[in-house]
Amino acid sequence: MQSVVKSPGSQISVGLSPLRKFWQRFIGFLFPPETDTWLAVLRSGLGLQVIVYALFLRSDWHYLFASSGKGLVGREVGEAITAFDSPLIPTFGWLVAFGRNLNMSEEAVLTVAWIALLSAGCLLLLGLFSRPAAIVAWFVHLCAAESGGLLAYGADSFMTTALFYLMLSPLPDHYSFDHWVTKTKPKNPLLLGFWRRVLQVHLCFIYFIGGLAKCLGNGWWDGSNLWRSLIRPPFTVVPPDMLVRFKYALPLLGISICLLEVSYPIFIWSKRTRWIWLGCILAMHAAIGLTMGLYLFALVMIVMNLAAFGVPSTDKRAQATSATTEQ
Amino acid sequence: MIAQGSTILHSACNEYAQKAELVATWCLGKEAGASNPVRRGIATYLHAAGIQAGYSFFAPNVPSQHRLTLELLYEDGRVEYESPHVRGKTAALRLESLLDRLADERYEPAREVLVKMLAFSVWREHPDVKKIRATFGAVNPPAMNEFEQGNTETFQPMFSFDFSLRDDQKQ
Repeated sequence: MQSVVKSPGSQISVGLSPLRKFWQRFIGFLFPPETDTWLAVLRSGLGLQVIVYALFLRSDWHYLFASSGKGLVGREVGEAITAFDSPLIPTFGWLVAFGRNLNMSEEAVLTVAWIALLSAGCLLLLGLFSRPAAIVAWFVHLCAAESGGLLAYGADSFMTTALFYLMLSPLPDHYSFDHWVTKTKPKNPLLLGFWRRVLQVHLCFIYFIGGLAKCLGNGWWDGSNLWRSLIRPPFTVVPPDMLVRFKYALPLLGISICLLEVSYPIFIWSKRTRWIWLGCILAMHAAIGLTMGLYLFALVMIVMNLAAFGVPSTDKRAQATSATTEQ
Repeated sequence: MIAQGSTILHSACNEYAQKAELVATWCLGKEAGASNPVRRGIATYLHAAGIQAGYSFFAPNVPSQHRLTLELLYEDGRVEYESPHVRGKTAALRLESLLDRLADERYEPAREVLVKMLAFSVWREHPDVKKIRATFGAVNPPAMNEFEQGNTETFQPMFSFDFSLRDDQKQ
């Protein structure tokens, strides 16, 4: 006999107090039954992201993260700022100190770290050793982001966040090599739903804060901020002469970006408007990547959006999986 | 952001924002001592999850670009101009990020050390340089109508440092 497990909040609550009803709805919102398709998108997308990150930084890796006197500014300053916040935050200083015990030079440790990051990216893309690969990718990337904290920019924060959630999510998904090789049991759909919900809520928070902050700047209403951001080196991909031709479109685009971001948490949840908002957000990130050269930033945001809202919620399939899990 | 008065909101809001900022600082444990385990625990979680920084990229307004120009003075009186550089475009983006941080008042105590290190990175490629004058400033791009009239960017110096290499460091 099959027992279909429903979301905790989907149980009929007749005669319950409003507070209890609210609590059940809240729990239902936090733990919707989900399949692992979204997790496969997140895993493979982040695998690609980590590979691109490692390859883009290949030629400057040692120069950016070497100690003082060998690199650009030396990683000690960034690590000192991080250690002031908390000495428990991992940095390359930890790995170099560990490598010293094994008679490894700083250069060798940094090379191993780069290879580990690239390998973790490849393994994530394929879905081989998914969990260990996610942990290694998160750890090495975090070391790089913290040791080079002074050189970090938005894409690093989003990569850390995405890898953090991936590492904690119920891996492996059934599209991964891990699943084909070891035939793992399907994961709990409620747990899958919970981690997807965390990612969704986080994205809503990111866009709302970002959109609100833009709305509070006068330059986004008259298009001047869009002009400034597109002609600001090193983001200059589109020649300013060409931009001038679209001068009447810039205010409209600037206002659209503000409204799109600030209203994301409202319209992304409704099935009627989700695809419009998701399409516009994906187009915005693709445009940022292509017109400003922020490829890593664009890719990580596209991956997070696709995983969070791009894969349709398949309640029936998730419930069927849940039933199988129960058996 | 609102507390610093950098938004279009009325200045009356700044006071409330400053109070809210204090509450947020307290909630994040930043009022506690540096070795306080709660403060360290919160900070570790924020960094591990990548949420220690805000999400106000290019907001409320797009900041000016910053430039560090290094004037290389040779023994024979020659003068050359250089800037710190990296190989890849992605790393160049990170260098820009560093320069933007140098302009931030919060990084004022570390400015001289960082500029010195950036100057030293160029010095390694020009070991016969006697002295380096590092000038840091903001590059203000022209507005669109100014650009149409043929105006170009303007450079506004913010600070400069002179570095001379001792003989023992040259080796």
